[in-house]
Amino acid sequence: MAIKSKEIQKHSKMFLLDHALKRQFHFASLEPNVISKKSQIGELSQHATKDSLWVSYASDLTNALMKNMPNSHSSLGLGLFIHPLDVNLIPVLSSRFRSIAYAANGGFLCPEELTEVFEADNRDDLFIGCNVDVKTETITFWRGNLKPLTVAFNAFGISGDGTKPNFEKCCVIDSGLTVQLGDYEAAVDAILYENDPEYRRRLSKLRLQEDQSFGASLRRLRKQRGLRREDFEPGLNSKTIARIEQGKVKRIHVRTRNILSQRLGVEPSEIETF
Amino acid sequence: MAFNFPLSSSLKKARWKVKIRDRERCEPPHVTIIKGTDAWRIDLRTREFMDDSPDPALVPKELLNLIFEEKALRQICEQWDKMYPNDKVSGDSGNEE
Repeated sequence: MAIKSKEIQKHSKMFLLDHALKRQFHFASLEPNVISKKSQIGELSQHATKDSLWVSYASDLTNALMKNMPNSHSSLGLGLFIHPLDVNLIPVLSSRFRSIAYAANGGFLCPEELTEVFEADNRDDLFIGCNVDVKTETITFWRGNLKPLTVAFNAFGISGDGTKPNFEKCCVIDSGLTVQLGDYEAAVDAILYENDPEYRRRLSKLRLQEDQSFGASLRRLRKQRGLRREDFEPGLNSKTIARIEQGKVKRIHVRTRNILSQRLGVEPSEIETF
Repeated sequence: MAFNFPLSSSLKKARWKVKIRDRERCEPPHVTIIKGTDAWRIDLRTREFMDDSPDPALVPKELLNLIFEEKALRQICEQWDKMYPNDKVSGDSGNEE
């Protein structure tokens, strides 16, 4: 389901920092200002606004940009760095850009698909790349608006056919609609649905014709977790679960709500948002 | 392993894909049609589009005919059941108990 966000706006200006001049043709529809030499940075970057989009494929040009920008300059907008990045530079970049995206060991979509995402109305709900952190066992996904979403490895359960996610082979495919982890694939809308309450709220608004009752939310969440009604026993028996889901229970007891939330792994107040 | 329904070369060339991924929103069993940044979900129980947006009319009839062909649909449903044994196509439709 495509969700149009109020925040979506076209980038007022795009800057492409790249020595490979061929790549600019893939970004042509975004009409980029191409910077291939350090000497071009000073002049062109003066035209940047807080809504500009910067895409850099060259670490030397990124470094030069940081050195050449006066501290008085307002936010440079959004910065996407598709090259090896010195971790010491991240705080500096964060202070100069409204939002940044980078990947030490992951990857981003190819230029054609990146352009497609940046031009999409639903780009807030598409991923453009990922960064895997083995130490914390998390993956940070970058959305089309360059906002990050960090998800734990354990959010990717083993498939019913036994396929396990391979976190060493993490990439985004299908123009931002799918995350590939080796042979395992996850739908981006499923990841957002599970991990972003704001996404769920927007989705709920679009479900005007669907049942918004507590019971319907419980049923959707139970299905999402792959649980049977019997799986809430001994705390709650399956008949009680069925009655709640069918809207036959008018007031949900606090104890019941707590058992449900524990078993479903969400805060008690969050059940309705599913 | 993610399921990719085989399509004709003309549909593939036009960037159409039909998938069941290992992690989908399970509500209810469905197959996802993908083209570029757009995705359409089809309910495997009712054979209807699950969402109004993007416009279902954008999906070519040739593709729909392919996946709704009896043998193909059975294959897709079997794949879903294999990947989501707790939410089978033939299972709980919400009216039990």
